[in-house]
Amino acid sequence: MVHVRGQNASVVTTVVGSYPKIPNRPRPARLRNAINRFDRGEITEAELHRVEDEVTIEVLEEQADAGLDLITDGQIRWEDEQTYLTRKLAGVSIDGLTRWFDTNMYYRQPVIEAPLAWREPITLQDYHFAVEHSSRPVKPVLTGPYTLARLSQNGAYDSLEGCVLALAEALNQEARALQQAGASFIQFNEPAILRHKEDLPLLRAASERLLQGVDAETALYLYFGDVAGIYPQVLELPFDLIGLDFVIGATNYELLRQSPFTKKLGLGLIDARNTKMERAEDIVDKIRIATEFVPLGCIHVSPSAGLEFLPREVAQAKLVRMVEGVRRAGEVLS
Amino acid sequence: MSRGLLTTTVGSFPKPDYLQRARNQYAAGRLSREELAELERRATREVIALQEDVGLDILVDGEMYRGDMVAYFAELLEGMAIGGLVRSYGNRYYHKPVVTGTIGWPGPMSLEMWRFAQNLTQKPVKGILTGPYTMVEWSFNDYYDDRREMILDMARAMRQEAVELDRAGARYIQIDEPALSTRLEDLDLAIEAMSIVTRGLRARTISHMCYGDFASAYPRFLDLPVQQFDMETANGGYDLADLFKARGFPEDRELAWGVIDVHNHLVETPEQVAAGIRKGLEVLPPERLYIDPDCGLKTRTAEEAAAKLRVMMEGVRRVRKEMGLEQ
Repeated sequence: MVHVRGQNASVVTTVVGSYPKIPNRPRPARLRNAINRFDRGEITEAELHRVEDEVTIEVLEEQADAGLDLITDGQIRWEDEQTYLTRKLAGVSIDGLTRWFDTNMYYRQPVIEAPLAWREPITLQDYHFAVEHSSRPVKPVLTGPYTLARLSQNGAYDSLEGCVLALAEALNQEARALQQAGASFIQFNEPAILRHKEDLPLLRAASERLLQGVDAETALYLYFGDVAGIYPQVLELPFDLIGLDFVIGATNYELLRQSPFTKKLGLGLIDARNTKMERAEDIVDKIRIATEFVPLGCIHVSPSAGLEFLPREVAQAKLVRMVEGVRRAGEVLS
Repeated sequence: MSRGLLTTTVGSFPKPDYLQRARNQYAAGRLSREELAELERRATREVIALQEDVGLDILVDGEMYRGDMVAYFAELLEGMAIGGLVRSYGNRYYHKPVVTGTIGWPGPMSLEMWRFAQNLTQKPVKGILTGPYTMVEWSFNDYYDDRREMILDMARAMRQEAVELDRAGARYIQIDEPALSTRLEDLDLAIEAMSIVTRGLRARTISHMCYGDFASAYPRFLDLPVQQFDMETANGGYDLADLFKARGFPEDRELAWGVIDVHNHLVETPEQVAAGIRKGLEVLPPERLYIDPDCGLKTRTAEEAAAKLRVMMEGVRRVRKEMGLEQ
């Protein structure tokens, strides 16, 4: 279980994964400058890693300062949510740029060239580093096997299913390594399933493989859409918490009304893709609606997706507002 | 001019180093607007000369004065501002525009450079605008509660710009909607907005779209009220040819057929280009089939862009000769 601090002990405030890597002027864009200098051969890899470490600490502190209960390392070292995880697997090469879902952000497409194998921990060192430097509990966040497979080119398996299950096998080893290192809560992001809802049975098979031998609390976050057509079936997936997008997937409120929500709920209610600031009273209202389906103590409030689509200062201001809304909700609702 | 397979480009060209440096100096306050403008005109003259030299039929001004297709207009439009940095990929960031008030037309935004470019050549120069759907979809919104209202206000602003180009004599006006291919569920809204922009224009209207799942939106996307669809086809392995062959393409519309992959450093061979053109000819006769690269060329180096265009022309000439369109 996550140990939750903060004024409101019932609702957990958290994020979905990524955090903007560089601030705006007058603050210096240290990571961008360091990568540029590394690319020009002006600093060593060790010096670049030192900047990555320092920026990660900054981001851990920003989340803690905003008052979040459960934070991430912001994926500061990740060039994108596919490349960082797959390039250390045997059998994968990294290809050209492709648009990431319907965002204006691009990722490098992994190419699965040969049967996949997990060779070494990918995020373990990052997790250790974050825990060591964070004043708040840290959760590791991994892109799930279904989404990784969907966003890769499969040149090694006869079917999507084969590819998804092989990635589930690889990520299972990663999850177990994280668990062994002390992670008591592990999150997987699977936005791609909302674009291919017919594949829910495949996601279920993959998730069972993914979580074999994982006793930590687990979460699955689904965003950039709603769960119409796969609700309540998503509740059969073997995760303790299901996180949903209530911004793009605003219809999720209606769906939850139709069938009891039997797990912990990730309530993604802050718009992670637009700068317009939420009002604290609207956050309270949304939490009130959610308590019709799930008790306060089973809710993790978060932005609708990773925060990297926003300028850094806006992301932080939104987190501050979110925590304020949750605090007020706690006063009103408990 | 050839009797068919007219050649063109999608709009942007790579900026020469001296212009890129000057833009940075201008941003840092070390260069005046007029000094920058002089270099923009110099670069535009070079882009026109290159297109003439390659032998293209319908030219563009190369967008030497635009940093980015959305940000350029956002800086000028009423009700828009340039926001904070957002990562685009890898170590690349851009200032994402924000809608901060009621969107309005501030006066001509692209007319001056279009006119400058058109005065340099006998060939037609396309006016090129960013479509209302894409302008809004690729910006933050701090102001409107109603997204449709926001897009339609943007459409009315862009219409005024299109009317200016039309009155000035632009024979082709292109209104790009690359954001649409990822959100085809918004097609009706994009169509409504485009109809505001293009209604009653004398110029031939064109819209460029990026690769997307057009099969799922067929035939509805063909209701976008423009005369020419400029499609990214090479990058999709020409699968649009199969779609149009199987299910038809309207007789009153034209296609601009991308035969050059702009995302790849490798320069195609003339035979690859010719093969791509023949795929297009399975759909449409040469009078209604225009040949161009998949997308804007600004991400390529100047050398790659020129080499790709020359190879494109070689492929076009090969097919024109086969068809007796050109001696």
